[in-house]
Amino acid sequence: MKHTVTLILLMLFFAVPAGVLVLISLASGWRFPDVWPAGFSFSGIALFLQQKEQILSSLASSFVFSLLTVGVTFFMCLVPAAVFARNDFRGKTVLEGLLLTPALVPPMTFAMGLHFFFIKLSLADTLPGVVLILAIFSYPYMFRALVAGFQTMGEHYRICARNLGAGPFSILWQVELPLLMPAVVAGGSVVFLVAFSEYFLVFLIGGGRVASFTGLLMPLLSSSNRSLAALLTLIFLLLPVGLFFILDLSLMRSFRKKGMA
Amino acid sequence: MSWTNNRAGRLVSGLAPLLLPYLVLFCGGIMLTICQSFGVFTPLPHAGAALDAYAKILTDPAFFSSFGFSLGVAMVSAFCTMAAGTFLAYQVWQLPAKLATAALIYKIPLILPHISVAFVVLVFWSPSGIVASIAHSLGIIQTMQDFPNILYSGWGLGMVLAYTLKGTPFAMLLVLALLVRFDVRQIQTAAMLGASGVRIFFSIVLPRMAPAMHTSFIILFLYGFGAFDIPFVLGESRPGMLSIHVYNLYFKHDLARRPEAMAILTMMFFFAVIFIIAYSKTVQRLENGVRKL
Repeated sequence: MKHTVTLILLMLFFAVPAGVLVLISLASGWRFPDVWPAGFSFSGIALFLQQKEQILSSLASSFVFSLLTVGVTFFMCLVPAAVFARNDFRGKTVLEGLLLTPALVPPMTFAMGLHFFFIKLSLADTLPGVVLILAIFSYPYMFRALVAGFQTMGEHYRICARNLGAGPFSILWQVELPLLMPAVVAGGSVVFLVAFSEYFLVFLIGGGRVASFTGLLMPLLSSSNRSLAALLTLIFLLLPVGLFFILDLSLMRSFRKKGMA
Repeated sequence: MSWTNNRAGRLVSGLAPLLLPYLVLFCGGIMLTICQSFGVFTPLPHAGAALDAYAKILTDPAFFSSFGFSLGVAMVSAFCTMAAGTFLAYQVWQLPAKLATAALIYKIPLILPHISVAFVVLVFWSPSGIVASIAHSLGIIQTMQDFPNILYSGWGLGMVLAYTLKGTPFAMLLVLALLVRFDVRQIQTAAMLGASGVRIFFSIVLPRMAPAMHTSFIILFLYGFGAFDIPFVLGESRPGMLSIHVYNLYFKHDLARRPEAMAILTMMFFFAVIFIIAYSKTVQRLENGVRKL
């Protein structure tokens, strides 16, 4: 009984909104005081197909800059995370706190200052500019995940590989990276989501030149036909879920192949 | 090279891929914001004194009401989120393994971008929204006008709802991460000794969850205080959130007012930093608490 209440609460808070979005995307005008849509039509989907090219290109653009952000944060954090996990030094806690601040302070506070600088360097309105600003805002998630990953891995594998004659590069590539994969995926998923769902930073630094899915969605939210906005929101939900599912599956498979799981 | 042989040199060169972008882009960005607030490096040459922008803002009552409003919205939504997240996490933790998979639906708002969550709030709570329709069909209200003006009441309730919906799964995630390591036998012992469910929750479980609750409160508070996306969709004009105020100064007024926008950002930054000091203290406590287990 108690568990039923819990599940009903969870459904009400988290699943019902998603369900309602499905209904809106298929409803042909859902007005007060109807509790259930008066009728269903494919007008939202027709609208979607009509603007297919614009939608797909902004989706692709969001996808590209989010993946690039994941890549940039990964390369920024890999070696520093190893250093952090394996060394104790004076001021480490303070430094860790400082390195986590970009994810905590309002991003506006540094992004608007940088905007001027980016214009001077002609990084404003370009893809590299957007990736840089998203990376500086989201790397703390990758950094924490990688530090935790290196800590759980310990040093034994590295020492063992070195004793067997492996060089630093093959230790990293053949021993550490495969073991680090779960942490990379965990950190990368968060960074991807943060980058993919950010509106303001992409708008500020991308200046409308770098298309984004959130930028496409924003004006639709207040339009009279809500079907398209609901449909796009659903894509927002399903795309990362699908991506993570595939990632999880392929990770499991590769671990099984190596006899690790 | 000799300096790479000593330990400090090795540490610095190992941390460089992170320290360099941190110093150039993050610290540099903040420095540029501060400089521009004093009228240095502004797109237009600044005519007045360095502290003009601050003088103008600090004598403007609209700034203070907007600051107070942001503080209030952030505080209330962070508190509601923390309370709801903790309660739901405790309930989910108690679910039997079979049902725990179904409970994963709580992660849905974690994936949705903030503007979509704002859209969901709009769909449910606007005067012609779903909640109003349900109230009508139950006979509670007769017309749209009878429905209380939740989104544009001047109290920022719409934003509080959106932040709570978006943040609750995040708070749940943090609290559940602590609960996983919690020994059920402590609860069983307390129950055998005759403690009630309420007593168990407040005396045994709550202290264990406290570190995660503090962390989530501070993170959510800072986010609510300075973020732009949700206020842009659900915001009310008067008093507005600080981020919207800055946005208007930056984009909608002439360039001469740029230092004012930057001065507000500078103050927001230092306000946030004071909070982050509290945050790192909380993290320390969280880690100490884990070691005790």
